[in-house]
Amino acid sequence: MNTNSNSYVMAFTIGLCVTVSSILAVLATELKPTQLAAAEFDRQKNVMMAAGMIENGDPRTREVLEALYEKQVKRVVIDTRDGTVAEGKTVDDIDKLNADALEADPKDRMAFRMIETAFTADGKLDAIILPVSGKGLWSTLYGYLALDADKNHVKGIQFYKHGETPGLGGEIENPKWTAMWKGKEILNDKGELVSITVKKGKVNESIESEKRHAVDGLAGATITSNGVGKFVRRDLQAFGTYLQKK
Amino acid sequence: MTSTAAPTVAPAPKAPLFGDEEKRIILDPLLDQNPITLQVLGICSALAVTTRLDVSIVMGISVIAVMAMANVAISLLRNLIPSKIRIIVQLVVVSGAVIIVDQVLRAYAFDLAKQLGVFISLIITNCIVMGRLEAFAMQNPPWRSLLDGIGNGLGYAWIICVVGAVREIFGSGNLFGIQIIPQAMYDAGYVNNGLMVLAPGAFILLGVIVWVLRWLRGYVEN
Repeated sequence: MNTNSNSYVMAFTIGLCVTVSSILAVLATELKPTQLAAAEFDRQKNVMMAAGMIENGDPRTREVLEALYEKQVKRVVIDTRDGTVAEGKTVDDIDKLNADALEADPKDRMAFRMIETAFTADGKLDAIILPVSGKGLWSTLYGYLALDADKNHVKGIQFYKHGETPGLGGEIENPKWTAMWKGKEILNDKGELVSITVKKGKVNESIESEKRHAVDGLAGATITSNGVGKFVRRDLQAFGTYLQKK
Repeated sequence: MTSTAAPTVAPAPKAPLFGDEEKRIILDPLLDQNPITLQVLGICSALAVTTRLDVSIVMGISVIAVMAMANVAISLLRNLIPSKIRIIVQLVVVSGAVIIVDQVLRAYAFDLAKQLGVFISLIITNCIVMGRLEAFAMQNPPWRSLLDGIGNGLGYAWIICVVGAVREIFGSGNLFGIQIIPQAMYDAGYVNNGLMVLAPGAFILLGVIVWVLRWLRGYVEN
């Protein structure tokens, strides 16, 4: 057989491509549910880390942690137009709710948003976890910002997906940096939303507003730091009505 | 893809399953023909994914799996592959194997897959893989190609694991994410070596390993 004739090369190429893609298609379909479950578990872990319920690298097994999430974290849908909780709605209803809201008023993009609420073991509201995401330097950052039950003090922040440079922008994952967010306030004395500013350089502890509303910037990652400050503010504003409702 | 050296083996009739030749195929790449230290292939990923030992181990296992799969597949097809498109055929097979590994990791080792990120996909461009396909699997039967793939994968894996262990110990004071340098040392003023966390640290370390191994084996570049 002449393996160099054009028709053979064509036939071989097509055969190879079809075989390889069939194998991959079957594999991808088979693994999809497991992958989605793994990604969902990773998200749950990050929600709980943001809320301070577990530490990074918690040694407990996956079953225990999933049960903990199931028991103490509740997802709720917020109507950001008036800041109320859309009772009885779940994550599956969001797309439909948003489509309806958009039709009613073209300005209402993403009127309904998902947040998570964490409760202590005896059922007291412990933390409100808001999704935050936006651009850094190279990539979109995804994370969770947890607030205390007073909807003012930050309880923690956690990024679970990003493509920033390890060692520079990637330091947003560094526990030493995220620890700085703890205890900062997003509202000023008048109850207005001021968000948290990521400063360039160090926070000056002697300035009251900085001490309360700012965290240190990341050295060598100015654009990532600015990005974080910007999208945290934007996402908090999106939840403004809900946050100011006491 | 510059595959140097790597002696190819003439197929012997009725060869034993694990004869001297087979042993040589799997052991040679560990030291005398090590893809990293002697052939200096696959350096980029050796620098990028070796900040921690557990990540290095997973990367090593992934490369072994990819090389074993690709070597066997190419070896089975070796008489059917039209020589003018052999490189692209090898690429298709390697890509397939890499995607399989990537998908499996994402399903069963999500955390590590997240840390390895793009570097699993970049195994496709690892010169060791294509080099072995071109230099060995295209001329040899499947069983020996499998051994050759595993051998070269192991040769790559043990080097990056050594680099990973040293970097993790001196860069962050941990091993497998557990602190091993006692707190007392930090209290006494010891600090982690920041260079070890960054790529240049890995470069220097790798250079030292290449030098030590070449010196031990009396290798002279000609």
